[in-house]
Formats: sequence, structure tokens, C-alpha cells
Amino acid sequence: MSLPIELALVALFTPAAMAVILALVPPLRRTGRPAAWLSVLAASISLGASVWLFADQLGHPSRDLLESVRWLPHAGAAMANVGLRIDGISAGMTLVVTLVAFCVQVFSLDYMRSEPAADLGRYFTYHSFFIFSMLLLVLAPNLLQLFFGWELVGLTSYLLIGFYFKKPSAAKAAVKAFWVTKLADTGLLLALVVLYTHTGGFEWTSHPGAEVATIITLLLFVAVMGKSAQFPLHVWLPDAMEGPTPVSALLHAATMVAAGVYLIVRTNPLFAQAEFTREVMVWIGSFTAVFAAVIACVQTDIKKVLAYSTCSQLGYMVAALGAGSVMGGYFHLTTHAFFKALLFLAAGSVIHAVHSNEMSDMGGLWKRMKLTTIVFVIGSVSLAGIPGLAGFFSKDLILEGMLESGHTVPWLMLLGAAFLTAFYMGRVLFTAFFGELSEKAKHAHEGGWEMQLPLVLLAIPALGAGYFASRFAGMWHLEYELHLNLEAGAASGLAILGFAVAYVMYGRGAPVATPAILRPIAKLAASGVLDRFYEGLYRVLGLKLAGAVGFFDRYVVDGLMNLSGYLALTAGQKLRRLQSGNVRDYVFVVAFAIFALSAFGILR
Amino acid sequence: MTLSELSPLSLPLLVLGAALIVLLADIALPKNGGRHLGLFMAAAFAAIFGASFFLDSSGRVFDGVWVGGDFTLFFDRVFLLAGTLACLGSLDHVARHMPGRQGEYYLLLAASVLGMMLLPGARDLILLVVCFELMGMPLYLLAGWAKTDDTRGRGKNAAEAALKFYLVGAVSSVFLLLGLALVVGMSGTTSIEALGHMRHSALFDLGLLTLFGGMGFKIGVVPFHMWVPDTYEGAPTPFVAFLSVAPKAAGFAALTVVFLAGFHVPSGSFMPLMLLLAATTMIVGNLFALRQESAKRLLAYSGITQVGYMLLAFATGTRLGTAMLLFYLLGYTVTNIGAFMVIEATASGDQGEDRVSDFDGLYARSPALALAMLLFLLSLAGIPFVVGFWAKLYVFIAAWEAGHGVLVFLGAVLAVVALFYYMRIARAMYMNEPKDTSPIKTPFGVKLAIAICLAGVVGMGAYPAPFLEQAMLASRSLFG
Repeated sequence: MSLPIELALVALFTPAAMAVILALVPPLRRTGRPAAWLSVLAASISLGASVWLFADQLGHPSRDLLESVRWLPHAGAAMANVGLRIDGISAGMTLVVTLVAFCVQVFSLDYMRSEPAADLGRYFTYHSFFIFSMLLLVLAPNLLQLFFGWELVGLTSYLLIGFYFKKPSAAKAAVKAFWVTKLADTGLLLALVVLYTHTGGFEWTSHPGAEVATIITLLLFVAVMGKSAQFPLHVWLPDAMEGPTPVSALLHAATMVAAGVYLIVRTNPLFAQAEFTREVMVWIGSFTAVFAAVIACVQTDIKKVLAYSTCSQLGYMVAALGAGSVMGGYFHLTTHAFFKALLFLAAGSVIHAVHSNEMSDMGGLWKRMKLTTIVFVIGSVSLAGIPGLAGFFSKDLILEGMLESGHTVPWLMLLGAAFLTAFYMGRVLFTAFFGELSEKAKHAHEGGWEMQLPLVLLAIPALGAGYFASRFAGMWHLEYELHLNLEAGAASGLAILGFAVAYVMYGRGAPVATPAILRPIAKLAASGVLDRFYEGLYRVLGLKLAGAVGFFDRYVVDGLMNLSGYLALTAGQKLRRLQSGNVRDYVFVVAFAIFALSAFGILR
Repeated sequence: MTLSELSPLSLPLLVLGAALIVLLADIALPKNGGRHLGLFMAAAFAAIFGASFFLDSSGRVFDGVWVGGDFTLFFDRVFLLAGTLACLGSLDHVARHMPGRQGEYYLLLAASVLGMMLLPGARDLILLVVCFELMGMPLYLLAGWAKTDDTRGRGKNAAEAALKFYLVGAVSSVFLLLGLALVVGMSGTTSIEALGHMRHSALFDLGLLTLFGGMGFKIGVVPFHMWVPDTYEGAPTPFVAFLSVAPKAAGFAALTVVFLAGFHVPSGSFMPLMLLLAATTMIVGNLFALRQESAKRLLAYSGITQVGYMLLAFATGTRLGTAMLLFYLLGYTVTNIGAFMVIEATASGDQGEDRVSDFDGLYARSPALALAMLLFLLSLAGIPFVVGFWAKLYVFIAAWEAGHGVLVFLGAVLAVVALFYYMRIARAMYMNEPKDTSPIKTPFGVKLAIAICLAGVVGMGAYPAPFLEQAMLASRSLFG
């Protein structure tokens, strides 16, 4: 067994062992903080191994290691293996997962301090288990093992969203997330079935033919839409914000929701054969990017803004992969993991200080929380794609890929989303961190070192990860070059414009005259309608275009889900009456059924 | 005929021997010595299960009327496993409710198992029907076994359960015989192997369908399923654990022998019908299960749904499909018996109500039981890492290969719907506050049975390979 395999095993099984110990030894788990520290220890070991693994991989960029043992036989041959696959893709993702998980766990030490000891132990048990599940998915050598990890992270997500399960809204959100993603996972299961029956294995490197590849990838994409919150299956992600904020940072921003994108990256050999699927991805991704960005503009809950922003950025990644820019999609996944986790943790730091999610309760936090403000600015600017920061490089790569593949309209949509991204982040920045000190923010202060350290740790890659793009590309046998041209400049220009507009609208105390183009939006904002824009469109302007978007979201998408549940339940109720308990009826049914069967058989 | 010629029948004969010992000992032992009989029977089943790995039971007996091989061996092991678990789980229940009639219980159980074990090897329609009845009669008696138990109307329920079960069963037997008469009348032979070459005629087909209807009762396929929930509700829970798996396996064994080894039917003319029934069974079972308040009824409907998946595997008519059916049956056996044993453990406070709400806060009362139940439920739902996932995945693969993509799709979506009601129990266990906070005292036998089931569910989930290989071998021996 070679060194990288050993390192990967350490990264994978240290948290797993910790989760098992904490789960099976309730007295230890119920101690709370000691259990938490043990979990952090496991996470740090896992992180150490991952860093080493990644550094090793950088030294051998083109290495592709596969270590597996036979797991399931089928008719004499191996049906599936279980093992590890280590190449540039999985080594990079392993590092991202363990780094963010480590930061989030350390952050949680302080953030979750006031939880009862038993709950704290439970929380960290889930976290340890999550690292294992996610790495199982990331390091999987075939689709079957990936599916196992996929289901496990779904389970952990359910448990962590519903962590405050005594709170009805949290329990409801957990259940909603569970069903939406679980329903979508059916696609992955069916993809496994189809892949196996056509290729006799679960390898994504196989060539089942264009038609079958299209079926398989479409099925896979259904699962991706659920996991990575793509329209119209995104409905669970905003609700998932009911979970503790560090959980949102880890699962619902940086890693778990990105698993869908990772799945596409991994199974790219299959997607490469399926042109139709990729076209679908381009459009759904681009649409999600714009759609979610619009909604993010009108949210008042800081976590909801970030949640919709996550949807939107995942849309970028999906669109990029659809356009064939694998490097763009994957690189954006990586940078997004850093800056979005950073933003969520910073938001958590703020929520911890003001005890509210509402941005109107924040205001002027710069005066009380310097570090949090600085890292939030870094995260926002990186997310918006301002030149020089991590987000700029990856977003630029995506936009370039869109143009190169000839998708002009989606390119324009993504440009629009870039503007909106900067605008809503600017809006958060100016209302929450600058301006007058709000009532609740008066006594705000930074958290302990446990909360500050992760912020700093994550701010570094959020700033500088972009400069590693070329080394990163090297691991993919790709060339990376930064093209400075008009198209690339357009995105940056729009991002700066977005911030500018946000500053004009929210950056000053008294409302002043705004340029004519922005007046309608400003008017809405001034009258306080902008914040209810989305809600208003649901009810009042249901027929207008933007309203139709909201209408479709709430009534059609949500409605279909509710309707199917309702139908199933009432049908159950009605049918139950058939079961009268009268034995004569039963005998009659048996006799009748046999006659019916016979009639069917004979007359056919 | 020498004794050695009977060697393929050694396993059923051993069970017969054990049953006779129980019969005699029941007379000899004092009235309250019945518990030892239960222990003996459990040990005997387990020992015969162990012996199945050493005895050579392949070969033809009585001029090919009974044929032993890997196929019979696979089923024999499933039945012996179910028998062992049922005896273990029943020990305490039987001793508590009917201390005077314990020997009778185990004797009947053994007789039923004997009938089941003879079934997969039967290659003659007459023998097949005899085995069916040998299996069925003791089941009717066992379902009504608690008829004189006067705690909280239990006896009345039991009598009702048994009567319904018996009447519907009797009607099914009538059809079974009618089908037999038609088939034999048209073909002139009772040998199943010879029937494969018969020319199909309208009456012959009618006979086959009637035969299928009669067998459909045993496996509880819609629309022959209506006795299932009522019977489960009234019968002793450990017996229900047995009833919910073993007769189903036996029914599928008979179906496979007659329709696949004999007539090669589903691959031909009756395929659309089988698929229709599979789909209906999956849908109806799921819809009814959604709103059940009784845990036993819920599992009864969930079991009906599971039959739909098995029927899907059966309807492929292929060697692979049959292997997957066998594997599914094995996984379902350990899972479902385990789940019913947990119900027995939680309701052991003599309330005997078995509401879903009885599971409220089970985690607080007994974390081990809650975890076991969770794993059984996950297995029933087909979630990875437990055996139920492989069972479903393999059935889907076999069905897809046979070209039933639509049904695979339906089955996969319905599996998610099924999670709704499985999660209801899971949520009650982990999220609700317990009404009664007293810790649960689980009898040793039930505990052991749950532990064995759990080992099966988790073990086969982690490494299903050897079990799959056995299923493939069994399937190959049938198809030649």
C-alpha cells in the first residue's frame, strides 16, 4: 500500500472511528465539551492527512491511484469493488472537505457553547460522521460506492438540519430536505441500475453508447438537482437554514450541496458522451443562477441571502459543467467552498453577537466587530468576483467557457447574475456592517478565539486560492491562462457596478436622488417594498414575468409536492374503507379476482 | 427401496423426527414443562440448519417426484432459519399466555416447516398440493392459538383472525385444486417436469391461472391479500413474524417450481399479467400502509408491498431474476422477523395493543431496541448498508435487464413513498417523548432472535457476496 492510500485511509477512518466511539459510548458523548474536543482532534488528524495527501499529489500532478478490493461478485466476475481513487480531483476535494469541516468544528466549539452537554456531544458525533460520509463519496472509485456516501451525507444533513428538532420549523425543514433530496436520489439509484445492465459494472469510465449515456446522465442529473439545489428542486435549501449556522456553512454551502457538482465532475466521462444532458444542464444552471440571485436580493434574513446565493453559485457550476468547462465548474466549487463557508461563519459570528438573523437588527457592526467585518468583506468581494480574489478567477473561467462553447444567452444570464451577486452582497454589507449602530448591535462583540481562528483560516484561501489556478490545472493535464479581454472585463465591471448600486441605495443615511435607470428598484427599496418584492409577486403580480417565477416556485413546485403527498394520503384514507373486515367480502374478492384473472388470460 | 435412497430428504426427515420428539415429550412432560420443548425445537431447527452444510441432499427420490438440489437447500435454510427465530421469539410469549398448551404450539410450527421444506423439491402436482396443505393447516391453528386467552379480548381477536385466515385459505385451496384438475385433465400427467412440453390450450391456461390464484393467497399478492392485516393483528406476534416470511417464501418456491421450472410461463404468455399484479401489489400495499395506526397492520401492508418487488423479480422469468428473488426472500426473512420481534419486545407489557404510538420515545427506554428497529426499517425501505438495499438494487437490475424499465421506475419511486411510513415509526422512536418511561425488559429468546436478525441485516448489507452466490447456485440448479 502506497503512502497516498495510507493517508487517505487515515483521513477517512479517523473521523469514522470517532463517530462510532461517540455513538456507542453514550457516557462519553454526554460529557459535551470533551466529546467535542475529541471530535475536533479527529478532524485535525484528518485535515493533516489531507494536506499531506494534497501536497504529495501536487508533487506528482498526473498520478491516478486506484486501490480496491473485490466486494460483490456476479456470475464469477467482480460486480463491484470498494476502495479509494486518488487523483487530482479527489485529493483536492478531500482537502477542501477536511479544511472546511475542521474550521466549522472549531468554530462550533464556541458557537454551540450554550447547548446542553448531551446535545453538544450529539452535534459533534454527527459532524465526525459527516466527514467520513463525505470522504467516502469523494474518494469513491465507482458510482456504487459514491452512492453509499451520497446517501450517508443526506442522512447526516437530515439529522443536522433537524438538530433543534423540538422546534417545529426545524423538524419540518429537516423533513422537507429529506424528502426532496430522497426523491431526487431515485435518479441516482436508477442510473446505477441502467449503468450496470448496459456495461456490467459501476464504472464511470465506461462507454455505454450515446443514447444510454444520455439516459444515465439525465437520471444522474435529477439526483444532482436535488442535492445541489437546482431549480425546481431547490426548495429545500432555504428552509435548511433552520439548522445551526456552522452546519449551514459546512453542509449547505461548502461541501454537501457541492456533492452534486462533484458527482458530475467525477462522472464527466459519461457526461461527455451525452450532449443533450449537457445542454439541459447549461440552461437549468444558468436559470438557477439568475433566479436565485433575484430572490437573494429581497431576503431580509442574512442566512437566507447566503442560501439563495449558494443556489445561484451552484447554478454557475452546473452551467459550466454543461458547457464542457470541467475545470471552471470544479475550480469554482473549490473557491466557493472557501468563501461561502467564510461568509456563513462570519454570519454565524454576527448572529451569535446580536441574537438575530434579521439584517435590520444588525447595522453598524463594523464599530463592534472589526475582524468579522473584514472577513465578511473579503468573502463578499471574492464571491462577487472582484479581480484579484479567488472568486474572480473561477467565475472568469466559467464565463469564458460559456462563450467558447457558443452559449451566448446563458452567458448573458450569468453576467446578469454576477451583477446581482455583487448587488445583494453589497446590500448585506452596507445594511449589516456599516451605517448607524442598531439597538441590538450595541452590545455586540467578537466571539472567542475558537470563532476567530476559523474566520482567519478561511479568509486566506478566499483571498488567494485563485493564484493556484495554474497548479491546479496542472493536476488535470490542463493549461490555465488568465485572459484579460473585454468579455472578462465585463463581469468585473458588472460586479463593481453591483456594489456601487448597493452603496448608492444602502450606503448612505438619507435617501438621495438616484440615476434614472435604478429608480424603479430604488423606489421599491425606499418604500420598503423591495424586501417584500418576492412575497408581493407571489400574491399580487402572479401573472408578470418575475411574478411567474415566484408563482411557479411556490404554487407549482411546492404545490406539486404537497399535492402528491395529499393525494397519496387521501387515497389511502378512501381505500382503507374497502378493507371492511368482513370475511365474506374477502372470499368474494378472492373468487372474483380469480375469475377476472382467468378472463384476462383467456380473452387476451 | 433402501434408506440411503431417501438421503436427499434427510433435512425434512430430521425435522419430522424433532417434531415427533416434541409430540411424545409433550405427553410425557408435566404440564408446565412446555418451555423446554420450545428450547428443544429452537435448538433442533438450528442444528438441522447447521447440518444442512454437511449433508448431501441432492438427488431424485420416488422416481423424480421429489428432487433435491441447491434450490431446495436454499429454501430449506430459509425455512429453518425462520423456524429457529420463531421458536426463540415465542418462548416467553407462549409460556406467559398459554402455559398449558406450549407443546402444541411448537409441534404445529414444526409440522408447518416440514410442509414448507418439502415444497421446493416437489415435482408432482399432487405432492405440491399436499405440501401446501401440510404447511397451511398448522398455520390456521396457530393463528387462532390464543383463542382461549381472556386478556383484553385477545382470544376473540385470535379466533376471528384464525377464522378469516382459514376461510380465505380454504377458498384458495379450492381454486388450487380446481386449477390442478384442469391442468391435469388437459395434459393427462401430474408430473411438473413433463408439463413443460404441453401444448397450451384455453382450458390449460385457465387451469394455470387458477393455480396461480390459489398460490397467490399464500404470498399475499393483491387482490388475495385481504386476510393479511386482520390475521397479523389477531395472531401472536412471534408467530406473525414467522407467518409474514416463511409461507411467502414457500409460496414463491412453489410458483417458481411450477411456472418457471415447469411451464416456463412468465417469460411467455402470462408476463403482462404478472407485471400488472406486481405493480398493483406495490401500489396498493403502499397506499394502505400510509395511514395505519397499528404497527402490525403497518408491517402487514409493508409486507404486501415487498411481495410486489418479489413478484417483479419472479416475473422476469430469467435465471438472474430468480436468483434475485431468492436473495430478496432471504433478506426479507431476517429483516421482517426482526421487525416483528421488536414489536413483540415493545408490546411485551401485556397491553398487546401494538400501536405505532407505542414506539414513542423507544430510544429513551431502550436505545438498543430502537437502533435495531431503525436498521430493520431502513432495510425494508432499501437504504444502503443494510441488506434491503442490495435486495432492491438486484431486483431492479434483473428487471431492467428483462426489459421492465417502467416497473423499475415505479418500484424506485414507491420505495421513497414507503419511507413515509417507515419514518413514522423511526420518528416516534427518536423524536417523541415516551408515555411510559420504564425501561423495557426484553425476554432472552426475543433478544437472541433480534440479535441474529440484526447480524443478518447488517452482515448481508456489508458483504452480500456469499449469499448472492448461494442464490445464484440455487437458481442455476433449477434452470439447469
